[in-house]
Amino acid sequence: MDGAIHRRREGLTRREFTSGVAATALAAFSPAASGAQEDAFRFGLTPVFLTSDLELLGHLRAYLTARVGGPVELVTRRTYQEITALLVSGQVHSAWICGYPYVQFRDRLDLVATPSWHGKPLYQSYLIAAADRRAEGWENLRGDIHAFSDPDSNSGYLVTRTLLAENRMMPDQFFSRHFFTYGHRNVVRAVASRLAQSGSVDGYVWEVMKETEPDLVAQTRIVRRSEWLGFPPVAAPRSLSGDPRVARFKDALVSMAEHPDGRSVLGLLRLDGFVPTEPSLFDAIAAKVETVRRFG
Amino acid sequence: MKLGHRIWSMPISYRAPVIVALLMVAVSAAISERVLDRLSRTQERFLDGLAETYLDGLSSAVIPAVLRGDVWEVFDALDRSATSYGALAPLETVVTGADGRVLAASDPGRISAYSELPAAYADRYGPGMVTIDEASESGFARRELVYQGLPIGTIHAAFDVSHLFAERREILLTLLVTNGVLAALFSLGGFLLVRRMTGPMRVLESHMRAAASGAAEPISPAEFPSRDREVASLFRGYNALVHAERERADLAMRLAEEEKVASLGRLASGMAHEINNPLGGLFNAIDTLKKHGTTPGVRDTSISLIERGLAGIRDVVEAALATYRPERSRRPLGLHDFEDVRLLLKPELRRKRQKLDWDVAWTDTGPTLPDGGPVRQALLNLLLNASAVTPEGGTLAFRAGHTDRLVTIEIEDQGPGMPREVLGILTEADPGPAVRAGHGLGLWMVRRTIDELGGTVKIAQKNDGGTMVTLILPLAREGASSHAA
Repeated sequence: MDGAIHRRREGLTRREFTSGVAATALAAFSPAASGAQEDAFRFGLTPVFLTSDLELLGHLRAYLTARVGGPVELVTRRTYQEITALLVSGQVHSAWICGYPYVQFRDRLDLVATPSWHGKPLYQSYLIAAADRRAEGWENLRGDIHAFSDPDSNSGYLVTRTLLAENRMMPDQFFSRHFFTYGHRNVVRAVASRLAQSGSVDGYVWEVMKETEPDLVAQTRIVRRSEWLGFPPVAAPRSLSGDPRVARFKDALVSMAEHPDGRSVLGLLRLDGFVPTEPSLFDAIAAKVETVRRFG
Repeated sequence: MKLGHRIWSMPISYRAPVIVALLMVAVSAAISERVLDRLSRTQERFLDGLAETYLDGLSSAVIPAVLRGDVWEVFDALDRSATSYGALAPLETVVTGADGRVLAASDPGRISAYSELPAAYADRYGPGMVTIDEASESGFARRELVYQGLPIGTIHAAFDVSHLFAERREILLTLLVTNGVLAALFSLGGFLLVRRMTGPMRVLESHMRAAASGAAEPISPAEFPSRDREVASLFRGYNALVHAERERADLAMRLAEEEKVASLGRLASGMAHEINNPLGGLFNAIDTLKKHGTTPGVRDTSISLIERGLAGIRDVVEAALATYRPERSRRPLGLHDFEDVRLLLKPELRRKRQKLDWDVAWTDTGPTLPDGGPVRQALLNLLLNASAVTPEGGTLAFRAGHTDRLVTIEIEDQGPGMPREVLGILTEADPGPAVRAGHGLGLWMVRRTIDELGGTVKIAQKNDGGTMVTLILPLAREGASSHAA
């Protein structure tokens, strides 16, 4: 769950996107949507755990449209990298990104808000394996076919990569094979179906899926939980720091729990709300990046 | 062949339905074979089409992922296709890369990623699109993944085709039940129809059997079928036959009566002569008595003459009565019977000035001899016949004798020989045709008498012309009473 918010001062006149039809979230890829680029507030979303949850996107867009004051365009891409690139290059006004890309581009991004889960803006990374597998610790996963979520994901890659680096190993040395599924939910699917014997997954996604897709999650079990790390934040390009829409967007996120539309979005996401946070929240992730860099 | 014989030996009312049932079985077997053949070809075509579509869709979905060696994307495509191709019921799909190793299988638990594809997968394909394995009720298909003219991998797919077999079994069962019911219905219908059709034949048969046992009755109009003209015409033909037969029998009886009357007439005139001859002498004697009755010698002579004349008349009358009222004299054949016959024949012989050679060696041995009445009538008939065919002044011969077991009687004439059909009345096993032709009714009565007595007749041509008729009659066995008693 990564996000970021950009500030842009383009006009707010286009009204084509004001309707609450959820499907328009997909219209971000259509030519008409490109034409609206100058006018709409564009919010990038990394592959959300509920990749197919059009209901969530509909609610989110409706809420943000009302609060930001003007059309809001939700931009989704397949990989974290694509969203990060759009954000850093200022092509989206804001995006929900992962802590890993945030620390990589910390000098060019501003934090807008960070989701709060169980009262804190923190989450864990899990190493998971098949439910019937007897693996006491991460060391038992040696030789597995391993599913990572995304090479730009903290919980779905960096945490495990760092764990191995601390033990002087590369993933290729520890695992027999590994592949990327580009989605935390897909990691759970890959492990549940035994395409992969183990996987690195966002602990928050795993816990929420335990409620929403208990049958799927029940086929997996947690082998290792990481330490608590900064939750994937919403960030905006520093170049848009003066954009009033970004300020309104920040207000909208932080006060989300006070509005019915916002509460339904939070309900679907199983989050308490969004809180303003300091960049230091992500120092632990930055340390991991450093560890990996040093190990090579 | 054996079955064929058995069927042909059945009554037609069973044979026809059995043949109908066998034909139905043959027809339904042929139809079922054709239907199932067509069905399986249609199913296979349908399955080929589905598999083609499935593999087309899957190919385009996985080719980019296969190019990148992206295990997850390949698996994701397989996983999603499993639910979107429900009609095909994919059992298992495996995608291999250019090196032949597995990229992903629909069930990674069975075949894991990066493993070598089991050898069995390479051997399971036939020449067609989908190869069906009947034992496992599975279909197999393979698709080479080609990108820019180069092979980059293969899709191996297995489908559940048990529903095809289930459909075939269901249709086979439906065919069997339907055809079985139809065969039974047609057989029953055939049975009833044939029974209905052969009903008139059974009516005819029962009438013919009745006719054979002597009571030929015409078929009553109530038994005529109202619509079947052929059968009605057959029945009419049978009735015409019965009527004609009855008329012929009536005619034969009438002719026989007439013959009897005619021979009686001849006899009667003979008898009249026989009576008339002494009558002249009797009247002379009475005149003599009137004129010279007082003379004792004359009177005695006259009375003696009258007595003898009356005795002759009495003999003739008695002979006639014995011959033509046989029930009055139911006695074994004896010498007196022959004498009576000779007496009755005498007037005819005299009229034709014929001579009779008489040779009878006879002892009356009692009740084992045949009945006298019918025999003397038969002998009189034969002798009258012999006299009729022998020229005037000719000679007849009569010989009779018997042993312990047989009576043998021979009658000879000097006639030209009996015509064949007349001869047949006496000697053929079936005298019917000659009798029906109206010939020799007198001889037919002779034949009936002989048959009743269990005897036989032989007829031989003599060397000097003329015919010899030999009657051979059996005696009843010792101890048994006369069959005529």
